[in-house]
Amino acid sequence: MTTAPVRTPLAERLAAELGTDFGPFFGTPCGILAPLYRSLEEEAGLLTVAREDNAVGVAAGAALAGRAPVVLMQNSGLAQSVNALASLVVPYAIPMLLVVSLRGVDPDPTPENTVMGRLTEPLLDSLGIESTTLTDPLDLDRARHLVHGERRAAALLVPPTAFGWSA
Amino acid sequence: MNKTQAVAAVLAATTTEPIVCTTGYACRIARHLDDRPSHFYMTGSMGLASSIGIGVARETGRTTVVVDGDGSLLMNPVGLITAGALPTLPLAHIVLDDGCYASTGGQTVPSRGADLCALALASGYARAEETDDAERFAELVRAAVADCTAPVLVLARLTSADPPVPGRVEGDLAEHARRFGHSLAGKG
Repeated sequence: MTTAPVRTPLAERLAAELGTDFGPFFGTPCGILAPLYRSLEEEAGLLTVAREDNAVGVAAGAALAGRAPVVLMQNSGLAQSVNALASLVVPYAIPMLLVVSLRGVDPDPTPENTVMGRLTEPLLDSLGIESTTLTDPLDLDRARHLVHGERRAAALLVPPTAFGWSA
Repeated sequence: MNKTQAVAAVLAATTTEPIVCTTGYACRIARHLDDRPSHFYMTGSMGLASSIGIGVARETGRTTVVVDGDGSLLMNPVGLITAGALPTLPLAHIVLDDGCYASTGGQTVPSRGADLCALALASGYARAEETDDAERFAELVRAAVADCTAPVLVLARLTSADPPVPGRVEGDLAEHARRFGHSLAGKG
């Protein structure tokens, strides 16, 4: 057994903000995102899917039904999801918000994550998925505009320490 | 039974239910037989047809049909696990099992040791049945669609060759997604 992730003020505020006009929520767990994951599970309901590209596929189904889904994933799972994004989400113009943690980015020194840490932003850029980085105070205007206004995918990048994670 | 007959049986058992077709010949045949707004032709993202169907079924609460293949299902069996964990999901998961990757040259699917119905049941599906008989398959699909209150799988074991397969799905994919979305919203 491990203890439940702590709740943090920023994660709680982000969960509350997202809960106002996004959903449903899907995800594959990540340590950096754990506080947000917990807040969303408790307040909005979140369906855990065993693999990130499947989560993107399920979210695509919800988006086709008119919703504005959110998928939480580690950037390693973004790598796993490249084909789902490149051949489904982008060409079919399916709206969803990807909340992607930045493993392998300072101060995460783990060598198994460094390459993907380096690749995350250029990869999203090449996919044609605009990304913004989580800030405090929160600013979700751009993500909202892309997902709700333009009905396309967008990404919100979460740096390692945003919710208190340490290596 | 061949793939064309099996797809025709799925279309005969449905009217306006959302149908998600996997990449390859399933899309092309379904579109050629009857191009309904309730069809979603997944031209890429092999392995994710059931995941999309899960999202549609979970969101709309409507009986949702997935037309999958054996190669497609095995490319990402997590779809089975995901649906199997949602015991009230109205998902009719149809698998057209021809034992090969038909649209890429007919290479053999490495499923010799795999029992896809057993895999579905072990994942939590309420029922999983297979047949190589066209009439029996049509009957199983009708039953699965008519009373769908849990994930069920119907597998058609295909043994006959198809007539020449229709051309690729053409046109703007974003427009195709919009058409499907309108159909789900009852506007199509």
